[in-house]
Amino acid sequence: MTDGLVLDGVSAAYRDTTVLHEVDLTVARGELLVVLGPSGAGKSTVLRVVAGLEPVTAGRVRIADRDVTDERPGRRNVSMVFQSYALFPHLTVVENIAFGLEVRDTPRRLAREQARAAAETVGCAGLLDRRPGQLSGGERQRVALARALVREPDVFLLDEPLSNLDLALRAEMRAELRALHERIGATMVHVTHDQTEALVLADRIAVLRDGQVEQVGTPDEIWRTPASSFVARFVGSPAMNLLPADGPLRPRGDAPTLKDEELLEIGFRPEAVALDSTEGTPATVERVEVIGEDAFAYLRLAAGQQVVARVPAARRPDRGATVRLDVRWADTHLFHAATGRRYQP
Amino acid sequence: MLTPYLIGLVGLVLVPALVTLGMSVTDYDLLRPPTWAGLNNFAALLDDPIFRVALLNSVVFALVAVPLRLLLALGLALLLHRRAAGVGTARTAALLPTAVPEIAYGLLWLWLFNPLYGPINQLLRAGGENGLTVLGRTPPQWLTDPTSARAGIILMSLFTMGETFVVLLAARRALPRDVYEMAAIEDATGWDVFRRITLPLLAPVLALLAVRDAVASLHFTFVPAFVVTDGGPPPYATTYLSLFVYQTGFEYLRYGYAAAATLVMMLLTVAAVLVQWRLIRRYRRFYQV
Repeated sequence: MTDGLVLDGVSAAYRDTTVLHEVDLTVARGELLVVLGPSGAGKSTVLRVVAGLEPVTAGRVRIADRDVTDERPGRRNVSMVFQSYALFPHLTVVENIAFGLEVRDTPRRLAREQARAAAETVGCAGLLDRRPGQLSGGERQRVALARALVREPDVFLLDEPLSNLDLALRAEMRAELRALHERIGATMVHVTHDQTEALVLADRIAVLRDGQVEQVGTPDEIWRTPASSFVARFVGSPAMNLLPADGPLRPRGDAPTLKDEELLEIGFRPEAVALDSTEGTPATVERVEVIGEDAFAYLRLAAGQQVVARVPAARRPDRGATVRLDVRWADTHLFHAATGRRYQP
Repeated sequence: MLTPYLIGLVGLVLVPALVTLGMSVTDYDLLRPPTWAGLNNFAALLDDPIFRVALLNSVVFALVAVPLRLLLALGLALLLHRRAAGVGTARTAALLPTAVPEIAYGLLWLWLFNPLYGPINQLLRAGGENGLTVLGRTPPQWLTDPTSARAGIILMSLFTMGETFVVLLAARRALPRDVYEMAAIEDATGWDVFRRITLPLLAPVLALLAVRDAVASLHFTFVPAFVVTDGGPPPYATTYLSLFVYQTGFEYLRYGYAAAATLVMMLLTVAAVLVQWRLIRRYRRFYQV
């Protein structure tokens, strides 16, 4: 498969502070890569570097097998959906969508026709004569998407396009975005801090932390074999529990062989915790959050560590009660305590 | 809360305006009590060749100087809105002439315009021979040639666009950055960006500044014409409405007549505001939020 986008050891700085450290990323043609990370991780900078809005201090950027590192943004054949949508307030929807074509000297009539077609693709064909000020958040989002679609760019860059929408609309647009990607089969890089969005949308996810790629993998890989305790805790809500491996909790089942002396941490998701066993580690229930059918019990072990457990709401423990919690080795992850990297036995 | 402002408004604006209105239908020279003149003053204005010249001068000045000032301020604002080496100094330089007291500014230009030892003409004569420019022409006789004098007053007014510049600078810096980044990704040329984005987004501010400048242009011709050219050179080349009113009232003591001319000036202002207000309203619908 040819590569849609390659970042090769890319570093970038903002006012003398390095925000990207030798990032290597490869996006296959037609793939939807989600860049996931907390605020300040450098997610947006990745997009801006690809678009050419931010210069690299080291490394190369290749789009569709073409080195574009020194090309200006307009010559890279990318299109971008900004978090703020960046619609032109004085232009109508159809003028907004046709803008990129018109400044590239496409005849006006043709540009308008293509704009109309793009608007139909994302379902905003009924808004063509309105101005951005008259649109709702979701409608603006569609217009921004149509504007990105109207040309045939080599890469689509989407900078948290769903973050300004309310929850229901976000879920809807998420599904539409996924469907759209499957329909047009374009190379897309989608930036978000929302792990659900990443898991739902992505072909692959790149988890970014402090300007460095922590892990790249399919949503399954990210979920099942997180490469570090950071990834493990960032993906999943509430976050994965993390305890010293030689600590108070002894999981059941066959323990993996631990070959070195290094300090390890044991991680397990709230779903992996069972509270109804007769044996297991005693803990006190500090607080219980009920979310519909689910309940999250925040437990305090005798040694002082906190553990979160997900239990059916109907069988939730009372606050202050003492429970015995149990985890199977099969549901755990081991990480080096010092580096946070995954332990490979 | 509004009382002090209202007292000021009544005492300093409304009452004088009413007095002006009252005086405009009388003959009054400060010595004898005013006598009723009806619309005679206005009728006389229509036939007064000096008034007509002053009116024409004022209108021409507004039509030429206002767009030029706006263009200059816009150009400088777009040039100097980014942070770069020397930009701060350049901004200060653009603003400085506006901060000079008007009379001092006028006296300064009196020197600049001097046909013999003034720096402007010395510069124009550079490289030429026998007191002519490089092209073999006589440099403008700023203070004695009617056309050159009018041009001179306009030239003077160009450098006092500091306020307009500051407003446009602030307006340009307030425009969203992502819109420009969007344009860069779409490979829009500088001209396209200016024509399709910057100009329309700044249009409401520009329109407002044009109204303000058009209104003010009736006033800011006064000091230059008073100090630098004294309304001359003949025939009344730089006698603008404001100077005409001043001379009629305070030099010839024809207060009734001056009041009538003032009213005409006011009507002209109102007309200018109305025309431009309509223009602004046409733009307004672009910016419904």
